[in-house]
Amino acid sequence: MPIIDVRDLTKSYRVFRKREGLVESVRGLFRRQYTEIAAVRGINLQVEAGEFVAFLGPNGAGKTTTLKLLSGVINPSGGQATVMGYVPWERSNEYRRRFALVMGQKNQLWWDLPAQESYRLHQQIYGVQPDRFKARLDELTDLLDVTKLLGQPVRELSLGERMKMELIAALLHSPEVLFLDEPTIGLDVIAQHNIQKFLRFYQEKHKITILLTSHYMKDVAALCKRVVIVAGGLVQYDGSLAGIVDKFSGKKIVTLQFADGDEPSNLARLGTVLDTHWPKVKISIARTDVPRVLAETLRDYAIEDVSVEDPPLEDVIADLFHQVS
Amino acid sequence: MADQTIRPRYVKVFLTFAQNSLIRDMTFRADFIFQCISSVAWTAMNVGFYLIIFRFTSMIGEDTGWMRDEFFLFLATVWFINSIVQAFFMPNMAEFSELIRTGGLDFALLKPIDTQFLISLRRIEWSALSNFFVGLLIAAFSLYSMATRPIDPIYPSVVSILLYVFFVLCGVAIMYSVMICLAATSVWLGRNQSLYDFWFYITNFSRYPMEIYNTPLGRPLLGFFIFVIPVLVVVNVPARILAQPLRPRADWEWPLALWAVMSTVIAFTISRWLFKKSLKSYRSASS
Repeated sequence: MPIIDVRDLTKSYRVFRKREGLVESVRGLFRRQYTEIAAVRGINLQVEAGEFVAFLGPNGAGKTTTLKLLSGVINPSGGQATVMGYVPWERSNEYRRRFALVMGQKNQLWWDLPAQESYRLHQQIYGVQPDRFKARLDELTDLLDVTKLLGQPVRELSLGERMKMELIAALLHSPEVLFLDEPTIGLDVIAQHNIQKFLRFYQEKHKITILLTSHYMKDVAALCKRVVIVAGGLVQYDGSLAGIVDKFSGKKIVTLQFADGDEPSNLARLGTVLDTHWPKVKISIARTDVPRVLAETLRDYAIEDVSVEDPPLEDVIADLFHQVS
Repeated sequence: MADQTIRPRYVKVFLTFAQNSLIRDMTFRADFIFQCISSVAWTAMNVGFYLIIFRFTSMIGEDTGWMRDEFFLFLATVWFINSIVQAFFMPNMAEFSELIRTGGLDFALLKPIDTQFLISLRRIEWSALSNFFVGLLIAAFSLYSMATRPIDPIYPSVVSILLYVFFVLCGVAIMYSVMICLAATSVWLGRNQSLYDFWFYITNFSRYPMEIYNTPLGRPLLGFFIFVIPVLVVVNVPARILAQPLRPRADWEWPLALWAVMSTVIAFTISRWLFKKSLKSYRSASS
């Protein structure tokens, strides 16, 4: 049985449509117009215990809403979901003791206090035994290299340090399922890398199930074998990262290095010219045409070097997001 | 994992909240001291104001029994209840509205502990308790003055003191329930900045002996604030028990005390129900 089982999950919001200008605002006081906004239109997802799954999607795709539904923070409009056999929005204490949610955009630690005070509070709320709590805290602060920062008020920490502290807060009670909503947002490359390293190590060691949303392809490539693309409130793709390119891109990027001479005037005939740094030319060619075009090119021109690559993953995903929206 | 965890102990969690708030207050020491001074000064101004009034009259209203000592005992009760509410619930209720608007409530909903408990007692404003001690001073002076005055001295019995404490706690519970109801409406209103204002208007009615509403125009108000939003029983019931303005006690005083208990239970039940309902409608906020 999958540890996370989501079937036809939907969530829509009724929002008040505010019109522009004062007169319309006053009119809005008496007659309100509402529109239904469907954030999640029918998500189906099964995750097995121990998987590390990435949720990809453009802003407003319904990723965060899905995580909030699975955390029981909001109630769905329709469909079903269970996590470890619990219905999240029933908010049972047993369920809440066994998972955690980390949001990169929000902080739960007391702003004016050192992180250790918030941790002690967590220990009591989650009812973690003191010796176990100490062992967990030592392990986590050691792994994330923040032992020295425990006594410093949270407001004095850098964004990267704060994120580490937030992660520790979420992991102190040893959750079996972890939801991460953009944990590396706004962090520099090194801080991102540290968080990635930590997550990979921690997940492999404790075999917990993680659902991650991120806008950084590097996070996803480094951490997750399985990728779920959500756009327009629906699952558009569910499979490996490499499979995305195969499925959604019918193009290859061919780079030709011509021998010295004049630039041919009819390069566009080969495909879409992306970039010219004569004598180097980058052309996007439909995958099925690649053998034929290459053969013709090698026959007609003096070519010094050829490379054929898949288009960058970011571009494929950006195209895909564009199509869906 | 169940064997490694124990049930949350609410008392312990509460003590940690109290401790963390104190640590926080101590970090901003000057602010803490300033708040204590300003709230005590406000109390002193009030006391001064009523002392002036009692230079021109010996009793609030005719035959009400609210003479100077009795009335100051009433005032002390006001300070007790207000300072408890302001220390424990006011900052949390104001923050609850804000958590709903900003989506910060998400984190509270994740915790394996009663959400209403978590929201209601997260932060304690220790400086507000300074008025509690001022209240103790005023009460002590009034009780002493009542016991030592030449004409008609009264000594509080142990039972009346115990009842007084009980009804002060009932009063706090009623005020808390009214606040929870007000704050919970933020879920549907999206924004409820009027919470403080509303609170101020409502508590203003509770701050005086109920007899002052006993006029043709005031009677509808009297009924409304006893039976619909029962803020009038909050201070009046405990204060009457200890100060005993009417001697012997009037027939209607005991039914009123009984109603105070009932209204505490009713108000608390309604507020709990409304709170739970509001969480169902909570829609979080962006990201």
